[in-house]
Amino acid sequence: MKFDKAIYLMALLFGLATAASAQTSADAGSSTGPISGYMEFHLNNPEAQNATLDFHRFVLILNHSFSARIRFVGELEVEHAFVEGLEESGEVELEQAYVDFLLTRAFNIRAGMLLVPMGIINERHEPPVFQGVERPFVDTVIIPTTWFDGGAGVHGEIGRGLRYRAYVMAPLDATEFSADEGLRNASQKGSEATVRSAALAARAEYIGFPHLTLGASFWSGQSNFALPRVDANVRIGEADLRYRHDRLELRGEFAHVTIGDAGLLNRSLQQLTGVSPNIASAMRGFYGEASYRVWAAGPARDMVAFLRYENFDTQYRMPEGFLPLKQFDRSAWVVGATYYPEPDVAVKVDYVVQRNQSSLIKAPNSFNIGLGWWF
Amino acid sequence: MVVLVRHSQLLLAGSLCLVCLIAQPARSQARRVVHVAAERFAFTPSEIVVEPGEEIELRLKSDDTAHGFRIAGTNVNIVIPKRGRQEVVTTLRVDTPGRYEFECTRMCGAGHNFMRGVLIVRDSAKKR
Repeated sequence: MKFDKAIYLMALLFGLATAASAQTSADAGSSTGPISGYMEFHLNNPEAQNATLDFHRFVLILNHSFSARIRFVGELEVEHAFVEGLEESGEVELEQAYVDFLLTRAFNIRAGMLLVPMGIINERHEPPVFQGVERPFVDTVIIPTTWFDGGAGVHGEIGRGLRYRAYVMAPLDATEFSADEGLRNASQKGSEATVRSAALAARAEYIGFPHLTLGASFWSGQSNFALPRVDANVRIGEADLRYRHDRLELRGEFAHVTIGDAGLLNRSLQQLTGVSPNIASAMRGFYGEASYRVWAAGPARDMVAFLRYENFDTQYRMPEGFLPLKQFDRSAWVVGATYYPEPDVAVKVDYVVQRNQSSLIKAPNSFNIGLGWWF
Repeated sequence: MVVLVRHSQLLLAGSLCLVCLIAQPARSQARRVVHVAAERFAFTPSEIVVEPGEEIELRLKSDDTAHGFRIAGTNVNIVIPKRGRQEVVTTLRVDTPGRYEFECTRMCGAGHNFMRGVLIVRDSAKKR
């Protein structure tokens, strides 16, 4: 698809959205059924590559209350629209399926398929909630959202705004770590997950200051069940903040990953596959984002402009005897806008300028359009 | 004599009206307004403290999608409209000291079950 056709598509989306919002603002009511969910439909047009149209996420959320204190939530997702056995295409994922035992405000128990409580996006990933067509890179390769696995734990809120989650979960699989995508494919996704040793995931959030949310997350778990001789303990530390006042919203996130015994892990995987995966001993990423509600008069006149800077390196520290691949020391500027014809519908457009430290391999810039909705 | 009685009746009626006029604004001034913001997946504030028998006016507004707001043990169970629509107002008076949990009753996303808070009605006797 050529760039001008993408512009036409964008204009069509905005036009339709505006026309529809003019009608829905007159009819202020909306309805919802027993099923909720969200969807994301994207046009990605990277430089010097073919543009793609992708129905990225189709997610249905089901919930049921057995009683006021025992509740079920399930989230079933189809990624990339099409799933066929034995081929690399889409995925069907059970992202959440847990039972909550709500005991007190300060102490509750949750068990089943859980979202890992890590970072801003992993537990708040509905398309109207974040800016940009795609999720931040840091929340993709450093924190592998949507990150979920089987487990159990506790959660609650203490006093005026100190919230916590602490879960015991299935560990990551070290054989799936990679040089370019970090931990992205390493979750066992609750599918006959090996739990020879469990991982610990915890997050604390403070929402007691006006307009400000502060968060910190931690993960620790042995990931070597497929390679018992390797002490591949993964530790992730993360800190984030969100400040929202009037029309302005600021977000910041920092995440640091360490992988124990990465040298032996690389050598062991090389023996198995014949290729060294060049896995780092540390990965790091951070981003800062400012967004401003340009129009703020409610539906039909509701638009946010944003700018985000990201820096992420999946080869931040290498084990002895391994050299970092410079193309994976990356940064990105993302600039764009989100138009809300309705608070639950987001028409997004952005331009991504990517850079890396390699003098040979260039990171492509891209122009993206997205349509996302929550219902 | 009749004139005197009439005068005293008028005076009494006038005084009553005056008392009513003074009492009316005094009562509305006494009602505290509590603004509650709802946003995925938190209410701010998430803890509201009142005295027993104190009447408060809750003004609830969403910053994103529609949320539910139910306070267990009371008759408050309302829908907070989406961002850009008007705030919803309800009054509440609880006489019995205790902790009354409130929660979002309308599925609003992955962290919906985290969206809870507490209304604390102080125990005046304990305070003394």
